[in-house]
Amino acid sequence: MACNEIWAVARIRDGQITGAGLQLIEAARELAREKGLDARAVLLGCDRATADELAGVVNGVLWLNDERLNEYDAAVHAGALFGLMEARGKPVAIFAGTNDTDSEVVPRLAAMCGAAFASSCVKIRWEGDDLAIRRPVFGGKVYEELALLSRPAMVTVRPGAFDGAQKLAAPGSVEEISVEIPASSGVTVVERASSAQGGQDLSDARRVVAGGRGVSGESYQKVEALADALDGSIAASRALVDAGERPHEQQVGKSGKTISPDLYIACGISGAIHHVLGMNTSKVVVAVNSDPDAPIFAAADLGMVGDVMEILPALAEALRARK
Amino acid sequence: MSLKIAVLIKQVPDHEAIVQIGADGTLDIEDRYVCSFFDEIAIEAALDIRKAHADAEILALSVGGKRSVESLRRAMAMGLDQVEQLGDDSMDGADGLGVASLIAARLKTFNPDLVLAGKQAGDDDMGAVGPMVSGLMGIPLVNAATAIDVDADGGKVRMTHSMNGETWTVESGFPVVVTAQKGLAEPHVPVVMRVMKAMRAKIINTSTEDLGVSAADSTGRLKRLGYYSPPTRPQVQMVGDVNELVAVLAQRGVI
Ligand SMILES: Cc1cc2nc3c(=O)[nH]c(=O)nc-3n(C[C@H](O)[C@H](O)[C@H](O)COP(=O)(O)OP(=O)(O)OC[C@H]3O[C@@H](n4cnc5c(N)ncnc54)[C@H](O)[C@@H]3O)c2cc1C
Ligand SMILES: Nc1ncnc2c1ncn2[C@@H]1O[C@H](COP(=O)(O)O)[C@@H](O)[C@H]1O
Repeated sequence: MACNEIWAVARIRDGQITGAGLQLIEAARELAREKGLDARAVLLGCDRATADELAGVVNGVLWLNDERLNEYDAAVHAGALFGLMEARGKPVAIFAGTNDTDSEVVPRLAAMCGAAFASSCVKIRWEGDDLAIRRPVFGGKVYEELALLSRPAMVTVRPGAFDGAQKLAAPGSVEEISVEIPASSGVTVVERASSAQGGQDLSDARRVVAGGRGVSGESYQKVEALADALDGSIAASRALVDAGERPHEQQVGKSGKTISPDLYIACGISGAIHHVLGMNTSKVVVAVNSDPDAPIFAAADLGMVGDVMEILPALAEALRARK
Repeated sequence: MSLKIAVLIKQVPDHEAIVQIGADGTLDIEDRYVCSFFDEIAIEAALDIRKAHADAEILALSVGGKRSVESLRRAMAMGLDQVEQLGDDSMDGADGLGVASLIAARLKTFNPDLVLAGKQAGDDDMGAVGPMVSGLMGIPLVNAATAIDVDADGGKVRMTHSMNGETWTVESGFPVVVTAQKGLAEPHVPVVMRVMKAMRAKIINTSTEDLGVSAADSTGRLKRLGYYSPPTRPQVQMVGDVNELVAVLAQRGVI
């Protein structure tokens, strides 16, 4: 059984659709439109208000309204999506985010139904009747393009690959669907600690100020002050994480997070490829470094040569003055 | 009860190796291959667990041709004694599900309590095989763990991983698939003696036929259309003072 839909798995944070979630919905809308398919948001658990909010940006919401889905469990969420496929038919594609939860759920689901899976996609297009995706490989040294030949095609999409979906003129419908929910896989959460970021996920931040070895020790406060002036989040290079100065959740790069904020300010970061990979899809990149030959300038739109100790406070001041 | 651990490893180009698109559109990869970054972390994590559980049985598995054998020799040099190559070079073009199917078939008879894999392989960066093995075997999954504590007698494992901005401590019974994030363990450089010994070791191979999986089923879901250079940014614009910077940022609409 099949249905002519593309599903976007919409993740919710504090009752709100995330920026990345809006981008997924836009991806589903754009690709569905081209082939006369229907874009649908899939909502796992949650409440009526959230379902209605989603309906504001997509023509149809498939709402798995079951409280057993409110708490995250990889096996339960994968199983529920599998159940939805059984109930409704296999969609043409399922789009999800590159966040920590969907990075567990989607490949697990792909294995359950023998589907093609590709992660971290930065572009999606139609190649005939198949979806073709582009993604970084070998740590970003090159990109590959793959056609996904199964139905459904399962894809996790990097933030920043699409614009966020705009509100519809008239809200779409919310369809409550009950599916079989599998028992918990037996992974229980013992403790949830919010990170130093105050529980905010760096992956979803619009403005990020990142510090490297050039701002180690007390100088990192200058990074925090600048982030504050920007209403942004803080991040770090591996050098500071390895030194135990910053938590791993704040590391950007190959062995840390991949982020695509509107603005990324790299302070005292040399610009090693492993770092650049985690931020090179940001919209505007600013580099501040005392070494005019630092490789980070090749990965930046705007650069300033000088001492972070002087530039960061001055920049924070100039931004405050503007407000 | 003696603990059984399976470690999944893959040989990939060194992160410093040059990878370029050749004139014919295929990749030119510099011939410097190593055991994948996160897989060495998984190997070390298994060794750490064995320190507390001396009778733990650890089996390292690698799917593919002669490069797989190289990664298994590395695992031996690091201290594992039970290693096995699954399939042959006909599996080198397999997708994640093809690799996971072969591994899941082998694990049916090994019956592990714990399966350790890397968070993502250093070549395809897919992050597929660990979660897929969990899906095929229908067992729990904990991705990108930064800490692990095994209680063999209590039959449970406690792990820490980062979940969308929070740090979660989770507990699971056996068996469970855990993928390694940086921080889970610190891989050591093996001593020369062990490296030499591993070079001479005979590596066991189990064929796809023995495992009842056809190599042909491992392809056909994904078709590579081509390779592209990474997107580049236009030439950087250097600015002299912060007011100029603020003006440009405002003009670009990011503040
Ligand atoms: C497999 C692998 C994975 C990796 N993953 C990551 C990753 O995820 N993330 C990551 O970041 N790295 C990663 N790395 C490490 C990476 O290669 C670099 O070593 C690291 O990014 C360097 O950090 P840094 O730029 O802060 O430090 P450095 O390279 O030491 O650079 C410090 C910079 O600060 C500048 N500076 C110093 N003082 C000042 C000052 N007062 N004012 C202005 N500028 C100043 C210097 O000119 C220099 O450019 C990885 C490496 C490997 C091998
Ligand atoms: N051919 C393989 N043989 C054994 N394990 C593998 C193989 N490919 C991938 N893996 C394991 O799965 C992890 C994730 O790989 P990938 O899904 O390719 O990113 C790796 O870090 C390994 O632990």
